[in-house]
Amino acid sequence: MSMNKQEVTTKRQKMEIKVHSLGRVEGDLDVKVAVEDGVVVDAWTEATMFRGFEMILKGKDPQAGLIVTPRICGICGGSHLTKAVYALDTAWSTEVPPNATLIRNIAQAAETIQSIPRWFYALFAIGLTHRNYASSKLYDEVVRRWAPFEGEHYEAGVVVSAKPVEIYAIFGGQWPHSSFMVPGGVVSAPTLSDITRSISILEYYRETWLEKILLGCSVERWLENKTWTDVLAWLDEKPEHRDSDLGLFIRYSMEIGLDKYGAGPGRYLAMGNFFHPQKYRYPTIEGRNVALIARSGVFDGKAYHDFDQARVREDHTHSFYRGGGSFHPFEGVTDPIDPTEGQKEGKYTWAKAPRYDLPGIGEISLEVGPLARQVIAGRPGAEEWQDYDPLFLNIINEIGPSVMVRVLARLHEAAKYYLRMREWLRQIDLHEKFYVKPKELPEGRGFGATEAARGALADWIQIKDGKIENYQVVTPTAWNIGPRDRHGQRGPIETAMIGVPVKNPEDPVELAHIAQSYDSCLVCTVHAYDAKSHKELAKYEVIKI
Amino acid sequence: MANLLWMHGGACNGNTQSFLNAEEPTVIDLVTDFGINILYHHSLSMEFGDQVRRLYDQILNDEIPLDIFVVEGTIIQGPNGTGHYDMLMDRPKKDWIWEFAHKAQYVVAIGDCACWGGIPATKPNPSESIGLQYLKGERGGFLGSQFRSKAGLPVINIPGCPAHPDWVTQILVAVATGRVEDVLLDDLQRPQTFFKTFTQTGCTRVQYFEWKEPVEEFGQGTRKGCLFYEQGCRGPMTHSPCNRILWNRQSSKTRAGMPCIGCTEPQFPFFDLAPGTVFKTQKVLGSIPKEVPQGSDPLSYSVHAAMARAVAPKWAKEDMFVP
Repeated sequence: MSMNKQEVTTKRQKMEIKVHSLGRVEGDLDVKVAVEDGVVVDAWTEATMFRGFEMILKGKDPQAGLIVTPRICGICGGSHLTKAVYALDTAWSTEVPPNATLIRNIAQAAETIQSIPRWFYALFAIGLTHRNYASSKLYDEVVRRWAPFEGEHYEAGVVVSAKPVEIYAIFGGQWPHSSFMVPGGVVSAPTLSDITRSISILEYYRETWLEKILLGCSVERWLENKTWTDVLAWLDEKPEHRDSDLGLFIRYSMEIGLDKYGAGPGRYLAMGNFFHPQKYRYPTIEGRNVALIARSGVFDGKAYHDFDQARVREDHTHSFYRGGGSFHPFEGVTDPIDPTEGQKEGKYTWAKAPRYDLPGIGEISLEVGPLARQVIAGRPGAEEWQDYDPLFLNIINEIGPSVMVRVLARLHEAAKYYLRMREWLRQIDLHEKFYVKPKELPEGRGFGATEAARGALADWIQIKDGKIENYQVVTPTAWNIGPRDRHGQRGPIETAMIGVPVKNPEDPVELAHIAQSYDSCLVCTVHAYDAKSHKELAKYEVIKI
Repeated sequence: MANLLWMHGGACNGNTQSFLNAEEPTVIDLVTDFGINILYHHSLSMEFGDQVRRLYDQILNDEIPLDIFVVEGTIIQGPNGTGHYDMLMDRPKKDWIWEFAHKAQYVVAIGDCACWGGIPATKPNPSESIGLQYLKGERGGFLGSQFRSKAGLPVINIPGCPAHPDWVTQILVAVATGRVEDVLLDDLQRPQTFFKTFTQTGCTRVQYFEWKEPVEEFGQGTRKGCLFYEQGCRGPMTHSPCNRILWNRQSSKTRAGMPCIGCTEPQFPFFDLAPGTVFKTQKVLGSIPKEVPQGSDPLSYSVHAAMARAVAPKWAKEDMFVP
């Protein structure tokens, strides 16, 4: 103990920074970090807003989740609808005709390929124009392309992001916030021009942005890259590659060090998405994994494991809900308390801490999102209809995860999803069914999951006496920004902050890059406190000792 | 040049996402061509940290004039009126919103949540959410029924879940270009230019409505028919231009085959989503719709409907939206 005291008194370089509103889109996220000698040594993520959707759903019509859950997040509304409908399909044992599965796949992918340019230009890349990097020789080019509102590609990227969701609107009426997926299929029955127009919009997206601006090559050429060495060779292959936005991003990241920090836990979860139209005709919880096109799975840093929803837990020991402990979502409760009361018990956020109970190891935190999906895609043993893609497993083995790698995984998916959407549009049979009317059972339990752009998203529903008995939603943002659990294990973003060098504590743009790389950050409001005068520091030291 | 501050309360960011889908003008045009100076928007601005805090202080100290204050999301008052369920910079966000609303020339509520409380205010309203000047259909809301912004107007309500980007951009352009006197508001403070017509106005299914031919079921069944009779469509009772100004330039929910759920009206979500109300027409005597087009009543409506069905032409029973 005396050693520790010594440490505290000699190190005067300690300070605590509260980064306000490092927000996710729906509400805000504050991140509190302790900085010692210019490096982050501890972190706490604090979600600051509560709306209580799960409480609203209790006692409501079984299909209320189709209307309510998309409104949890306006960015992932289509993903919320997707998993909500599969939760009902499994609870009601519906039949989903192949056409309906194809349209659900297309809609889910459309939302994600919208999000990729919108997130990259409007939310992430503007941070790369920060004056901290003015000495980089690529800085002027970065500003010319990515500066907010004025940047040449900022405008192109934001404008093109509105295109893929036109396809969503053709099948679903509008984006965001349609509820066109219903148990047993979809409400729509497209006509020929709905298909041809969708193909044209998709081609516009590829020609004007995906190949011309992002990749600087064909989708097929980019997807030939299977290793990090391939990516480096691709960079050198042609000036068009090097000078594409992807090429510039990689070169700039390596110059300003985005490949050096923000690794996160190095453990990943994907719940998988997109179903084979024939293999998930009768959706069940047990039959889900094998019917997936983009696979589910857990990677614990060394080995792969099958995903089983029964192993998901939510720990609310440090969250503003009554009591503590860890429950499977079917047993989950949402009982909020006043944060000022909660803080006295060491609670500090509205997010619960999702965990996965790995056999033989226990409950662990896992990163979700594009990087997680692409690492899971590298697992050997895929079925013939499933995605196998070794690139990102190789990249994390070669250079380790980082802010750069996480962003790269996101951009990589634009190419993959484009190809899949083309194929699914081809497969729709206009003369076949889009819906099979289900029997609305008064009792049932369902589980539905998908991959939103930002990661695994799932619902657990219990229906009793023809109404919702319990409804629990576990979002990707919760997986990533969740707090410590009852064992004191940090959440993924908390983990990712540790060890990060902060150049200017009054303007810690590095922390913003990390949070933004998880796509849960839009707003960064920073307050730096002097170590000596700020009371919170004492709290930090107590924790440290 | 008009200074605009955008703030989100109990929000899903869906209105911002919808706004970003805008064309003619795009969000970027709004800034570069129409002189709308976005002081701060949580999703679009690069400023962060102390810069934002300083900006807020400057607005509240009258150092920077605030022309347009946009709110997306509910005002969260829980628990027990403290506002602790939604904090910004260690203060209840509701306190910031109150202060900015009283500094602004114009206050614009975008989306149902800011207008009337929306989904978060659905029973049991766990977050004690409320709209800026309404709670559901009841006037008053967070700012009170007497509230007027500095330019003398009540809150301009642009509802919808979400609001269509054009409804937002066109009103912002009208304000920024000095045409605000042309923005006439209805009795729910919505711009009449958008909310006088019905969702049904322009719906491709309106001929089936005329001859009282229903959609029998979703999917292949939507190749013909009107969603009003069985699927609970609120198109004839809801005020919006969803079928005049199409969504994402392509379609609308009713065109695609999804019943209108009335999301521009303060009662949304209707019937508080009680069992048996989602995607199902509420009926009396087993067959007559409980709610009928505005200005009609169930009895005269059913007489009219029986006659229409009896004289319907043959094509009104056939598929129209065929492959």
